Amino acid sequence: MTLKLERRSLLKALLAGSAMGVLPLRTLAAEPELVWMVWENLAKDEYLEPFLDATGISVTKIFIGTDDEQFAKLRAGGSDAVDLITPGFDKVDYYLASDLIREIDMSRIPNTEKLYDAFRTSPLGKKDGKTYGLPFYWGINPLVYRKDLMDAEPDWSVFFEDSKYAGKLAMRDYALEAVMIAAMYLEVPRDRIFSMDDAQLAEVKKALIAQKKLLRTYWTSIGDLTNLFAAGEVVAAYSWVPPYHELNARGLPMGIANPRQGTIGWADSLCIPASVSGERLEAVYKLIDYLLGPVYGEMLAVGGPYAQSTSSARDLLTRQQRETIFIEDMSVMDSFVWRSNPERYTEWVALWNEVKAS
Amino acid sequence: MSRIGNWLAAPVAAVLVALCLAPLAVLFAYSFFQVDFVTISTDPTLKNYARIAGSATYRALIGHAFLSGAVVVAITALIGYPVAWFIARRGGVRKSALLTLLLVPLYTGDMVRIFAWRVILGAEGVLNRLFLWLGLIDQPLQVLLFSPVASHLVLVYNYLPFMVIGLWLGFEALDERLTEAARDLGAPAREVFRRVTLPLTLPGLIAGGMMVFVLVVGDHLTPQLLGGASGVTVISAINDLFGTAFDWPLGSAIACTLLATLGLCCALAAFALSRTELGRSLAAGEA
Repeated sequence: MTLKLERRSLLKALLAGSAMGVLPLRTLAAEPELVWMVWENLAKDEYLEPFLDATGISVTKIFIGTDDEQFAKLRAGGSDAVDLITPGFDKVDYYLASDLIREIDMSRIPNTEKLYDAFRTSPLGKKDGKTYGLPFYWGINPLVYRKDLMDAEPDWSVFFEDSKYAGKLAMRDYALEAVMIAAMYLEVPRDRIFSMDDAQLAEVKKALIAQKKLLRTYWTSIGDLTNLFAAGEVVAAYSWVPPYHELNARGLPMGIANPRQGTIGWADSLCIPASVSGERLEAVYKLIDYLLGPVYGEMLAVGGPYAQSTSSARDLLTRQQRETIFIEDMSVMDSFVWRSNPERYTEWVALWNEVKAS
Repeated sequence: MSRIGNWLAAPVAAVLVALCLAPLAVLFAYSFFQVDFVTISTDPTLKNYARIAGSATYRALIGHAFLSGAVVVAITALIGYPVAWFIARRGGVRKSALLTLLLVPLYTGDMVRIFAWRVILGAEGVLNRLFLWLGLIDQPLQVLLFSPVASHLVLVYNYLPFMVIGLWLGFEALDERLTEAARDLGAPAREVFRRVTLPLTLPGLIAGGMMVFVLVVGDHLTPQLLGGASGVTVISAINDLFGTAFDWPLGSAIACTLLATLGLCCALAAFALSRTELGRSLAAGEA
């Protein structure tokens, strides 16, 4: 083999090499490399593989630990480096008020046609009729209990009224949900919970101070609560779903209660940072459509197990799988109190600190 | 030489200013701002400080942090004195090994230590099982875990090494001939400790006490994970304000108040000490 080196070809090669060094690699790639700020359990490699293979788009994941951390990162100027974020559906207002996100063109995402009605009609994530936060997946934060250590299925009253379970209960150390549960127990109308007046907040505070005496502890991480259940320190807690699945799988008989006062429902959303445009925006729309589609939905339902906000994967799941993610009977949503953004949240946090310090 | 030394120290001073004083200055500036939903207004105001002054909760949390710090300092000093004396005076060739052993728990990390204590103190834990087996109790003692007792026990465990190191340095600097002379002159052991050992190891006690105090005031994980429903601290309240409430100005104001109170306490203690004969001797380098 001989190698001919001419002046013209050498110059071309040098220029090409210089360009490679000067231009950001992502602008030279055939398909954009997207950056997604997301919870680790939603972006497992196997969940995204079909999308990456089909489109050639690559996705870099930045994992978040809390919603507040994600907001703080974007507020601190990180929004230019991210193409897709995953805030709580109730937190979209924060991003919108800070001009961090752009409008989502629903017509570019065919799978939004299959959004469940609860999300289609929700006022969350919208402003002036435009959509800024697209519900992505959802679930409940239930009352979880040890079936072997409690005589009957409890409701929220167990956290506020003295019983033989006093001292064996746990509540999350989080103002929003603690106040919501007290309001549900006090039977504040659901449409008034997030706009409670002074008198109602005073009643809530009284109830939460009474609750404190009945608690073993406030939990701060779900792994911690799982340990407390397993060690028998706690028999019932306001919880997330994972301890129920994990401990049942290990042989502990765990139950999810269906309190007559209601259950807290939550959803996380997808938002596009304001700086995303052009090819990158096109690629983000493709990714969002995939995340609301059947392939991802099935994997999330089985592996999560979580339900996406659309019915895309519903028919691909067994009855048991649908029951696990609460979509077998959609009327279950009637008992939900969706997490929302209280008008006086700073006062809720102050109230919560007063309760804990009492 | 001194001018060269000044120039050589300049980068260190610059790093200190950049990494320590500048963030504190930013925090201080934020404490005069206001937040409206997610918009921070930079018009200076004293409203945050007025809120703290008017809030029994925040005042109580700051007071509680200081009380906890003082309690843990007192307990670690009581335990630390004989331990430090033993290492300094009886350690012999094993002195280095003993000091290393003292520091071993610190290598394990906060969370490991906290969960290890949960295994010991829990309702189904080692201590409760032992007491039940010995017939000392009929029911597990709930107070062993998720209580102020538990969090203070672990705070003492966590920060005892810092007190011992301070005291050990004090004992190393103590001239043994002075205590021997006191004994030879007929002073009983208690008087030897009160009038010779304690004054001469006081610098070590102060250094160790300051370290322990500051670490306890700043520790929110231990009370949160072991203190149960009463485990709230002023630091966790600041954390709530910076995180979930997005009220950075109020959080900054509480942090600055805590810092200022800490500085004031140290200044008052130093002033009180300087009024004593012992303090004057320390300042003159005689003790």
